[in-house]
Amino acid sequence: MHFIRTFQKRNLLLVLFVVILAAIVLMGRVYYLMVPGSEHLAKAAKNLHERERVIKAERGRIYDRNGEVLADNMPVCTISVIHNQITEAEKVIQVLCEKLELNEDYVRKRVEKKSSIETIKTNVDKEVADAIRAYELDGVMVDEDYRRFYPYGSLASKVLGFTGSDNQGILGLEVKYDFWLKGENGKILTMATAHGMEIPDMAESMVTPVTGNSIKTSLDVAIQSYAEQISMKALEAKSAKNVSIIVMNPQNGEIYALVNVPEYDLNEPYELTEIYKAGLKDEELTPEKKTELLNQMWRNSCISDTYEPGSAFKIITATAAFEHDSLELGHNFYCPGYKLVADRRIRCHKTQGHGSQTFTEAIMNSCNPAFMEIGGRTGIENMYETFRALGLFEKTGIDLPGEASSIMHKAENVKEVELATISFGQSFQITPLQLMSATSTVINGGTKITPHFVTEIVNNAGVTIKTVDGIGETGIVSAETSEIMRTVLEQVVSEGTGHNAYVEGFSIGGKTATSEKLPRRSGKYIASFLGFAPAKNPQVIAMVIIDEPQGQYYGGTIAAPVMAELFEVVLPYLGIEEESEIK
Amino acid sequence: MNQRRRETITEIEQNVRRVPGKVHRAYDFSLLFLTAFLVGLGLVMIYSTSSYNATKYYGDATFFLKKQAIFAVFGLVVMILVSLIDYRYIIHPLPVIKIRPVSVLYVLCFALQILVLVVGEDIKGAKRWIEIPGIGSFQPSELTKICVVLLTAYLASRAPKMLNKIRGFVGVLIRVAPLIFLVVIENLSTALVLSVIVFVICFVTSKKKAYYWGVVALGIAAVVVVFVFGEGFRISRIDAWLNVETHPLGYQTLQGLYAISSGGFLGKGLGNSVQKLGFIPESHNDMIFSVICEEMGLIGAVAILLLFLFLLWRLFVIAVNAPDLYGSLIAVGVMAHIAAQVVINVAVVTNTIPSTGIPLPFISYGGSSLVALLFEMGIALGVSNQIEYRE
Repeated sequence: MHFIRTFQKRNLLLVLFVVILAAIVLMGRVYYLMVPGSEHLAKAAKNLHERERVIKAERGRIYDRNGEVLADNMPVCTISVIHNQITEAEKVIQVLCEKLELNEDYVRKRVEKKSSIETIKTNVDKEVADAIRAYELDGVMVDEDYRRFYPYGSLASKVLGFTGSDNQGILGLEVKYDFWLKGENGKILTMATAHGMEIPDMAESMVTPVTGNSIKTSLDVAIQSYAEQISMKALEAKSAKNVSIIVMNPQNGEIYALVNVPEYDLNEPYELTEIYKAGLKDEELTPEKKTELLNQMWRNSCISDTYEPGSAFKIITATAAFEHDSLELGHNFYCPGYKLVADRRIRCHKTQGHGSQTFTEAIMNSCNPAFMEIGGRTGIENMYETFRALGLFEKTGIDLPGEASSIMHKAENVKEVELATISFGQSFQITPLQLMSATSTVINGGTKITPHFVTEIVNNAGVTIKTVDGIGETGIVSAETSEIMRTVLEQVVSEGTGHNAYVEGFSIGGKTATSEKLPRRSGKYIASFLGFAPAKNPQVIAMVIIDEPQGQYYGGTIAAPVMAELFEVVLPYLGIEEESEIK
Repeated sequence: MNQRRRETITEIEQNVRRVPGKVHRAYDFSLLFLTAFLVGLGLVMIYSTSSYNATKYYGDATFFLKKQAIFAVFGLVVMILVSLIDYRYIIHPLPVIKIRPVSVLYVLCFALQILVLVVGEDIKGAKRWIEIPGIGSFQPSELTKICVVLLTAYLASRAPKMLNKIRGFVGVLIRVAPLIFLVVIENLSTALVLSVIVFVICFVTSKKKAYYWGVVALGIAAVVVVFVFGEGFRISRIDAWLNVETHPLGYQTLQGLYAISSGGFLGKGLGNSVQKLGFIPESHNDMIFSVICEEMGLIGAVAILLLFLFLLWRLFVIAVNAPDLYGSLIAVGVMAHIAAQVVINVAVVTNTIPSTGIPLPFISYGGSSLVALLFEMGIALGVSNQIEYRE
């Protein structure tokens, strides 16, 4: 019989000591994993357990200057099913078929599919969704969502643009101001088991969605819709490809209306309008073709397309000349019907010539040889200096995406012939909006303006968080030049080529233009008219552009009457009072 | 340490010296209640961890709990009964046949280990179970653990001086090795536990220890060799251990780590683990400690480790005070067994060592394991019951 001896007890104590040491190490390890080292793993675990359901934020609205809603949101719902939560499959199928007007096979396939969540239908009207919700069926989810809705349909479609399936801006103001409009999606966090079942009674955290900011624009629904009406009338009357009207405040660049017919329905932006579909059978409408046509339909030619401004550009030429003292109101010009420049004989639009004329008569006649003379005297350096000051070498900075840049000669490449053609608005390209913006500076006393739509950004509590005004640098053009230009341009309308734009009782300034499209002799023209009123203190500047009219194509003949039609209504509407007889 | 050891010894000596008086037995009730408490805690945790899967797959939240509870009750009864028998009968030749019960157990274990390799049920690529109709499956390696404890303790106590020489150690090893060898074929981790038991018993018995350090070095080398040059799946276990977050085999461990790290200081509260909801496969088995961490936090995890340490301390006290060396070495063997399993289990769950399947004693789900452990505890308690003192 043996007993345990002291050395054996000591041995055992050593073993116990090793075990205690191991236990301490393991406690340390557990402590490390649970307290200081837990962050990374615990976060990964949380991600594994949490199911995130997004609650979409309501997008900010777009208003016109009088508070009319141009872009709104419609509550819609998404109906989906969660397979392993369904208890009464047959009833679910029957109710969903009936309420959503879907065929049974379609619904059955989705209800019986073993997926975590299956969408049955999106964009379901709220009433229908509420009716489905009332059944309280297990496993049927009704999620609220918003769909963009444009109460005026096609009104200002080229300006507003539209949104995509996730309510993200795609075109126009919707994309330019997406950052402000979109808001912040909220989310509901629920916990789920490894099998995707939500765990009841587990702490759910919820992040409330934040409604986007609304934007207030300078657009005026009344002016915009009237402008659209008369544009459409002109488009049809002249079988034109495109008619644009821009109405703006020349003092601060606020745009009242920007029309570019044919417009399209913002609520159905992916449906080609009849005009674009015309003559195409369904089978000819390949996806590529459709995309091409949609892009044409969505294009805003007022800012995305450049053109040769033609005679309306004489305003800028004259301004440059006055600013550089190479022209005085009393100067006389002689027009034999052409002008010899270098070895070229450049003709006037009036082939028999305007004869002897003062500067005022020359601009009233829109005489090309006179302006070639003026341009020649001023020289390209001086001309370009004024162009640059008026912003013709840069984009206008309008708050719409897709603005085109001007296409100008390099100063060192401009020889006599080029200088002559530039003087009457040919051989280079700018956008209609650039011309309007430059002309605004000329007639408003020399203040640079930035054309824009958005005047205010208002948060969801109704507090203005940002205001925008388009007034820039002053003194771009001297007050004297500005006054001379207003006076002579008023005479263009009262007595000259712009007479068709005359509206009784109002003093209107303006300039006609007829541009032949490239290639020359193709018989394609752009007829346009640039007008403003009242001539002494312009409160509104407008431009009518008729692209590829059939038949008559002179700006003075076809665009000026449209301007008269516009001003007849818009001037009284804007509160511009009729003046007593001016002449 | 020495101070406390002396106290323990003098405590008992004083008791003995307090003559005259009735002879008392030093039955270790703390150990009994400690064991019962751990078993109860195990049942609570098994219910917590298994109810989700039990409902999902068996339609009964208490499916696993009920099975385990039956084994727990049975095991506790066995433990108490065994503790009342004098452990010395184990090495006392039986009447008539003149064979010691420990030898009978040795032969029985040998037979069962061979049987399991022949008729064993193949679960997850390993034959470790024998199906007994009406009762369930039974794991012979659990019985082998009891056998190894009793046999090694017997061999060592029979000639303790032999163990001072390497020859004596080898002699013990030769007798135990066949059992360990039969286990290692299908279950490396259990074989590891068995080796630890044998080693610790011999180590404690021996006066000369130099060659044991050599054995430790050799053992470590052997483990390394097995892992490095062993079967493919063991090499990939090393990869999984080192790259637990990316390796596919690291899935279970990673899920356990997720559970541990989301427990925090105080835990999510009993029953509130999320990782048990299908994320940790069979969270009521070897990985149960991770759910304890998640639900009871650092406090709970440390408390459980301290309970085990206390349990080991009680076994130490029994070993030191046992009436003979055999009783001491039995307590040492049980102690080594429980310590090895706790340390390996917690180390695996916390990804401190590469993954290997060892259950947490008394707490993890598993009938054979629980009953075998309680049987061993019964013997240890039986040893304490033979300690006499007078009042």
